[in-house]
Amino acid sequence: MSGDLKSLTTLSEQLADAVAAAGAALVAVHARPRLPSTGIHWRDGVVVTTEGTVRRDDDITVTLPNGKRIPATLAGRDRGTDLAVLRIAPGSLPVASLGDPGTLRPGHLVLALARLDDGGPRAAFGAVSATGGKWRSWKGGEIDRWLQSDLDIYPGFGGGPLVDTSGLVHGVNSGGLSRPLATTIPVATVNRVLTQLLERGYVARGWIGAAMQPVRFDLAARRQLNLEGGLLLLSLEPDTPAAKAGLLLGDVIVAIDGKKLEGFDQLLDLLGGEVVGKTVRLDLVRGGRPQTADLVIGERPRRP
Amino acid sequence: MSVAFLSTAADLLRASVVQIIEGGRGSGGAGFAWGRPDLFVTSAHVVSRKRVTVVTPDRRTVSGAVIRRDTDRDLAIVHAAGAGDELPVARPGDPNTMRPGSLVVAVGHPFGMVDAVSAGVFQAVGPLPRGLGLNGKGSLPWVQADVRLAPGNSGGPLADAEGRVIGVAAMVVSGLALAVPVADVELLFSGLA
Repeated sequence: MSGDLKSLTTLSEQLADAVAAAGAALVAVHARPRLPSTGIHWRDGVVVTTEGTVRRDDDITVTLPNGKRIPATLAGRDRGTDLAVLRIAPGSLPVASLGDPGTLRPGHLVLALARLDDGGPRAAFGAVSATGGKWRSWKGGEIDRWLQSDLDIYPGFGGGPLVDTSGLVHGVNSGGLSRPLATTIPVATVNRVLTQLLERGYVARGWIGAAMQPVRFDLAARRQLNLEGGLLLLSLEPDTPAAKAGLLLGDVIVAIDGKKLEGFDQLLDLLGGEVVGKTVRLDLVRGGRPQTADLVIGERPRRP
Repeated sequence: MSVAFLSTAADLLRASVVQIIEGGRGSGGAGFAWGRPDLFVTSAHVVSRKRVTVVTPDRRTVSGAVIRRDTDRDLAIVHAAGAGDELPVARPGDPNTMRPGSLVVAVGHPFGMVDAVSAGVFQAVGPLPRGLGLNGKGSLPWVQADVRLAPGNSGGPLADAEGRVIGVAAMVVSGLALAVPVADVELLFSGLA
């Protein structure tokens, strides 16, 4: 066999080995009509999949690699990060080996895996297209790392893992976060969300309880306060964290914990993290004069 | 890690691939020499008439006759006596021994791009997953692969990393490439080659 063919065959075998290794920790999740989606056995007795593919809360089953179908219960779901967590009987199948998505760079070869039925795992092959830092999904969830690949997310591949050529799992593939691109929810985000979903069934997000609008001060005020602008309080409900902190309509929040507020994104970033119950120091401008207030961040009320 | 080139596998495959054109128009579909240098496998939907034109890898245009056609399995055999004795026949592989994730190579003429190579990975061989509809044909065995196919790939070979044919490119369902398993080609050829 020529050298070219030999190295190609070696690569082919390596890819198949990676699929077999990671595929041993995959289940088919039956939680919607017609085609199942894919679930990853993330911790013993805990399966992760995408929220968008779990269409019902009850009567969920999973198909194991050996073809056996067993019941699963929904531990919780988070629309923001498109993740759902299921509980199954412990010891049902091997647990996935996790990688470090920080080591993946554009051009690295990767596979998207799925389990759709009682056959073997399925694979799609491609490369990492782009990586980057923290970002916020259009559904409002904080994703710790931008990880995009050129893989085709076929029907049923949602909830399946992004796997490197050694079979390590780097995250959960979502077709729903930024269709039509294959976006991967990285290991760190899955671990963070999974912990919250197992503890309380949902992800608590921070809440202030006030409507705001960005404003820019006039020239005189800018000179006097040495500030460009901030967020102007437009409405305030009683018994909200903002009201309890003594904020008033017309206040302009100019800094949080000493950090200048330049727009909504900073506030959303703060509220998206694990901040419920935390006290922050707000710098305000009230009636043209600087002032401070301590605000205890509340929990955003959840839609039923 | 050494660099893996597809070119050797692709060149082996391309040497057996022809264009199959009906009525002298367009770029038609693909076919490949099988068993004998004058017999070509293609898709039934590529050849609706008895007479076709075969363009050999060295760009000779010869006439061919459709001698077998199975619309259920979407396969056909074209006999082209003028194709010459030099044309290498494709080597058979076996999709049933392939593991998911193994590399596959397809050669065809997508959108008229002659002898274009596309690469991907093997997913499965067998009926389609329940929920992926295919007008009742989903229960037939298909080689299912993550590889880009387009109009013009029909009838062309899908091969493993060593260039051995595992199926005949037939169609795309929900983005998934489907090929008719090579065993069905053997069946259609029985008594011929």
